[in-house]
This record gives sequence, C-alpha cells and structure tokens, in this order.
Amino acid sequence: MRAFRAIVDVTLRALVGRRRTIAIALVAWLPVLLAILVRLGGGRPDPAEILDALVIGTICPLVALVVGTGAIGSEIDDGTLVFQLIKPVPRWLVALAKVVVAAAVTSLLIVPPVVLTGLFLGGFGPDAIQTTVGFAVAALSGGAAYASGFTALGALTGRALVVGLGYTLIWEGVLAGILEGVRFLSVRQATLGIAGVLTGEDLGSRPLGLALSVAILAIVAVGGVAFTAVRLDRFQLRSAD
Amino acid sequence: MPAMQVEHVSRWYGNVVAVNDVSFALGSGVTGLLGPNGAGKTTLLHLLAGLLAPSAGTVRIGGRQAFRDPDVYSMVGLVPEREAVPDYLTGRRFVRANAELQAVADAPSAVDAAIATVELTDAADRPIRTYSKGMRQRIKLAAALVHEPRILLLDEPFNGLDPRQRLHMMDLLRRMASEGRAILFSSHILEEVERLAEAVLVVYAGRLAASGDFRSIRRLMIDRPHRFTIRSSDDRALGAALLSDPTVFAVDLADGRLAVQASDLGAFGRIVAPIARAAGIRLHELTPTDDTLESVFSYLVRR
Repeated sequence: MRAFRAIVDVTLRALVGRRRTIAIALVAWLPVLLAILVRLGGGRPDPAEILDALVIGTICPLVALVVGTGAIGSEIDDGTLVFQLIKPVPRWLVALAKVVVAAAVTSLLIVPPVVLTGLFLGGFGPDAIQTTVGFAVAALSGGAAYASGFTALGALTGRALVVGLGYTLIWEGVLAGILEGVRFLSVRQATLGIAGVLTGEDLGSRPLGLALSVAILAIVAVGGVAFTAVRLDRFQLRSAD
Repeated sequence: MPAMQVEHVSRWYGNVVAVNDVSFALGSGVTGLLGPNGAGKTTLLHLLAGLLAPSAGTVRIGGRQAFRDPDVYSMVGLVPEREAVPDYLTGRRFVRANAELQAVADAPSAVDAAIATVELTDAADRPIRTYSKGMRQRIKLAAALVHEPRILLLDEPFNGLDPRQRLHMMDLLRRMASEGRAILFSSHILEEVERLAEAVLVVYAGRLAASGDFRSIRRLMIDRPHRFTIRSSDDRALGAALLSDPTVFAVDLADGRLAVQASDLGAFGRIVAPIARAAGIRLHELTPTDDTLESVFSYLVRR
C-alpha cells in the first residue's frame, strides 16, 4: 500500500505541474463559459444537446487523452519513470496507480464543469437536475474508461497524443456514428448509453443499453490497466550507447 | 555466488551491436567500467539493472535474472546518467518516494541519513529544478542508497561534480565497498577509475577488451607500441640513431616527418633527448600520435 501511495503521489504531482494539464483544465471549463454566454444572450437551448456534443463528444475524450498520456507517456519520454520501475514493486501495481490517478484527475476536471453547465442551461427543475446528474455520472464513468485506455496508449507509443486524437476524431467522431458495428467499440457511444438511460433523453438513433454500456466501459477500464501492466512488465529503455 | 554475473551477453539494436559477447562476474568491492563514449558501458549497466533484455546470453543479479524480476531491486541501487530526476519534487520528497517504494522500515530516518551522506541536507527541501548538475547527481545517489543496497550500479557518477564533491563521493564509495557491497561504476576517464577501482572492466566497441586487477591492466596499457612523430634538424640521422636503441623497433620517414614506434613509453621519453644531443641533432617537435584513450582501448581489443 505504501508503494501504491508513493506512485500515486509522484504521478499526481507530475500531472498537476504540467502546463498541458493546466491548459486542458481551462478547456474543460469552456462549456460553462458557453452556457453563461447563452443565458446572458437570452437563449434556452436543450442542455442534453450541448452536454452530448460538447462534453461527452469533445471535452471528455480530450481531457482524458491529455491526462492519461501524461500519467505515463510523459514519464517514459523524460525518463523519470525509471525511478519508479527500479523498485521491488509489481508492475501491475504501478499500472493500477497510474490509471487510478489518470481517472481521478480526468473526473475531477470534467464533472464540475458538466454539473455547472447543466445547471446554467437547465436550471433547478427536477427534469433538469436529472439531466445534469445523468450526464455527470456518464462523464465520470466515460472519463475513467477513456483515461485508462489513453494511459495504456501512452505506455504503448511515444505518439499517443496523435493516435488518441485520431481515434477520438475519426473513429468516434465519424465512424461510430454511421457504422452499426463500430458502436460497440466506442467509449463515447457507451458513455452516451449511460447518459441516455439516466436522463431519459433520446441521445442518438440506436443508443446502447445500460448493461452493455457499463460492460464496455468496464472492459476498457480494466483492459487499460492490464495492457499498461503488460507494457511495464516488458519495459526496456529505448536505447543506450 | 557472484553479486553480478554476465555470461556471453550481447545486445543489439537492429543492425547495431551495442554489446558483443561479454562475460564477467563481480563480487564485493569497487569495479570500474572503463571505455570511451559509445563503447557500450551504459548498455551494460542497463542490462545489469534489468532495464534492457539481453539479445543473447544471461545477466544475473544476486543469482536472479535481472530482466522482468522487480524483486531484484531490493538489493540493487541504480544511479542512471541520462534519466531525468522528477524536478517538480523537492530532494527530500524524491528520496522519500524511493524509500517508500523500497518499503524501508523507518523511512524518515533513512531519508535523512541518505541525504546527509551526500551532503545535501541544507538543500533537501528545495525543488530539484533549482539544483545544479552536481546536486542532481548527488540526490540520485541518495535515492539509490536509501534502502542500503548490497549492489550499486552507477553510470558516470562523477559527471558534474566539482573536485571536492568528487573526492567525497570516492570516499563514500570506498567506504561502502569496505562494508561488503559490490559497486560497479562507469567512466570514460582513466584517472577516475585508477583512483577508485580495485578491479576494472575495459569495454571498447561493445567488447570486453580487458578485465581484472587495475595495475595489470594499466601495465598492458603502458607496455604497448607507442607511436610518435618527430621534427628535427636532421630526421634521417636521428632515425638511424634512435634505431640503435632497443626501445625503438621501427622508424619511417614520410611527409617530412620522422615516425617512430617504441615499445616502452617511459624508456623512450628518457632516451630520445640524449640520443639527439649525442648526434648533434636539434629536436623541434615530438608528438605522441596514438595516446588517446581511444587508441589504448583499440590496442587492447586487438591483442
């Protein structure tokens, strides 16, 4: 447990201190700013539409991508991971600690803006609260799954940001919306599945059911830890002299 | 059982061979891993630290395979050269994290002791980003020492240290070796190895060129053909005169210079001026042409 805590502590400090994390934390609050501007302008848009397109579709994967790849990929790049690996600590524990930090930071960055955006746009009526809470829970679960997947991606490749962006924009943004089979391989669709059930809103033409959505997110989250552990178990320095 | 055992180990990256069929076994004491830059020293240390898998052969630490066995790290301390320290941490927090990861029983005391050992107590609560290169090197050493490992691997540990810190670290490593630890440190500077190491491994172009007691290796390095070029008032006559001495076994007149090969560096230095004076020849220039460490290593490999 001491080792787990130590890795969480070092990873958290590394993440929080990075400019990239600070920048993405600001980006995560854009929906709130947008909601304020819309309300000041007198508009009353559907909160579900905004939260679906802006938060679940864009902010959630972007935040998780930056945080997840930062939790391990950046440490591989700058060499600081070596100090954590040359210890008598099972590599799966190192992987788990990294993913827990990435998931927690992602959730912490996403959920408050989701709640505020929902409240600004929908107010405090029972339906609006249900929508806000539903999206907050969905963002929490989806963000954790994304973070785990992107942490694994950071352990796999030095170009994790580019690959992750490609996945988010092309696979999830385009293909998962139009190809039936791809929906089952999309974190976004699973996140929307949860949001759809919890809010009672109609989000997409053929939403995934709650059980399937939860299963997909759980598989991605656990798979991310397992894959990261395997990569760390076989970790080698890229080149020496 | 040797603390470190390397048997017929090779490591290549694509077509590039970084380490080529190297074998050695080391017990307690200080051993210097000597070789020019790019010789394969860091690759060897990374193989020993389990941070690289050998392409062929076996690497054992305390009798266990070094690669993919995190448990070996309870007996190993590594001071890498290139890997960055997390500079967002204070020195104390960095060493503390290492102690926690090593499950050190009384971590706060062990951390204080390790930091005091490297003389960084006053700077321990500053972020590492404010440290000089020498201070970073020392905090890495403190982190490696905090669990009192019985095997210590150090990659160019004297880089960035000022002369006083260098002496201090040498004393520290000697003291640790006297406590029965096995210490292997790499260096490309002969004098560093000479001052600290009892045994030496010489690597050149990925191969183990020589190993053993430092004095015998040193003798090998000195008792080799030495080449000089000489410019004098009469190169031809000087060549003939030098050839009459048994120390000199070849002379060659080319490009307006006299090239000489001698078997003994010290003896040649003593005879050249008296022979020139006796022959009435004025020496203008005497240049050793192969006295770089590179040429010494190259010679040892060819032997």
